[in-house]
Amino acid sequence: MEVLACKGLRKVYGDLEVLKGIDFSINKGETKVIIGPSGSGKSTFLRIMGLLEPPTEGKVFFEGKDVYGENLNLNMIRAKIGFVFQDPSLFRHLTALENVKLGLKVVLKMSDEEATKKAMETLKLVRMDEWADYYPAQLSGGQQQRVGIARALAMDPDIILFDEPTASLDIELTWEVIDVMKDLARRGITMLVVTHEIGFAKEVADEIVLMDSGRIVESGPPEQMLKSPKTERAREFLGRLLGGV
Amino acid sequence: MIDPNDLLFLLQGVPATLAISFLSFGIGFALGIPIAVARQMSPSLSYLMEAYEKAFRGIPVLVFMLLFYFGLGGFVPFLKDPFTCAVVALGLRSGAFQSQIFRGAINSVDKQQMMAALSLGMTKTEAFRYVILPQAFIVALPGLGSEISLLIKDSSYAFILGVLELTKHADILRKASRSFVFPYLMAAVLYILMTFPIANYLDKWGSRLKTKYGLR
Ligand SMILES: Nc1ncnc2c1ncn2[C@@H]1O[C@H](COP(=O)(O)OP(=O)(O)OP(=O)(O)O)[C@@H](O)[C@H]1O
Ligand SMILES: [Mg+2]
Repeated sequence: MEVLACKGLRKVYGDLEVLKGIDFSINKGETKVIIGPSGSGKSTFLRIMGLLEPPTEGKVFFEGKDVYGENLNLNMIRAKIGFVFQDPSLFRHLTALENVKLGLKVVLKMSDEEATKKAMETLKLVRMDEWADYYPAQLSGGQQQRVGIARALAMDPDIILFDEPTASLDIELTWEVIDVMKDLARRGITMLVVTHEIGFAKEVADEIVLMDSGRIVESGPPEQMLKSPKTERAREFLGRLLGGV
Repeated sequence: MIDPNDLLFLLQGVPATLAISFLSFGIGFALGIPIAVARQMSPSLSYLMEAYEKAFRGIPVLVFMLLFYFGLGGFVPFLKDPFTCAVVALGLRSGAFQSQIFRGAINSVDKQQMMAALSLGMTKTEAFRYVILPQAFIVALPGLGSEISLLIKDSSYAFILGVLELTKHADILRKASRSFVFPYLMAAVLYILMTFPIANYLDKWGSRLKTKYGLR
């Protein structure tokens, strides 16, 4: 079943055309990885798919419904699309536990008791239950990011979008976050991930998507994309990414 | 030498001074936050709010007090009560000041915080209520401290309307005694004893929370 899709997506900021017509779709249970050079529009694409910004042109579909075409309640759909940011963006005045609980209480209207139970279970999944009462400022970048994942995951979303969740972490912290994400992929959580952690893509992705200057240049299963890309641009980018020349 | 009876007499003016200050601060708080949020959410409403802010920033609060008391007082009976009139004038000005304090504080909160809140499915109002305003409030604490001290000082304008607050008591004392200076000097000390600790406390409280939460 198709969870999230778009057709003819364009985004223009001033005179800068950042997305130049993107068609994309992801099915339930799939993990897709987006790669591409800086400034190619990956974050913009993800924000639009997360309904955090409207497209200039084109359509976004959530579970087959035209999000901006039909008169749908955007907040209700956003609640079903998790988002993990590069900078974890935890709510700074709340503890790890409270960060996870807030959406459960305010959006899903859970009681405090239910929310605490659900939040603690989810923190356990990302191995952060022992840090439940710490404030973001007291946690490492990797720990913050795992709480960020728990905050999105606890809402039981139909898909989670990740925008370079490890880009600002050093190598060991990257591993601890990537391990948690691999776990989620294996549990069948639908994930759309912008990352250049190729190990992650190799192990759990169903498809790698290469974006360049606002377009999807090429996409395919990891084995094929990594070994024998079809386009010159993909060969060049992947060659450099994998440490070739 | 300070006569204890004189001091006791002066102290009788302190409750009215504090009442005017805190009541007008409350009015200003109740006006300031919604105006600051409205200016963020609706640009069309913004012009009206801006005009209000400009008026109360550009015109002396004493002029507003006199205008309300002698001008509007004829139509709005409760403004004929000097105490109420002073509270309303100072409260409206404080609303203009506090909306600016909160607008700055809201702008200082990381933009991604709003995005993160929306991504969970919160409405914009919920995001302000649960995520943006609690952080903005901490950032605003030092500014709110200065605002309270300003109100304590400016509550002395109520003396013109005959409210029996601290400055008025000092004036009565001056007329009753041989000393022209001591009553006002003692009042000055009492004002410092009220303004300084409050501003200082809110400032410290704000910095402590900012460090705790790692806010800018
Ligand atoms: N809100 C905005 N207003 C104006 N320009 C923007 C905005 N957001 C992004 N851009 C521009 O759009 C282009 C694509 O940005 P985007 O962040 O989507 O790229 P990216 O592929 O995520 O890059 P990176 O790998 O560096 O994160 C850039 O040139 C950026 O400056
Ligand atoms: Mg990006």
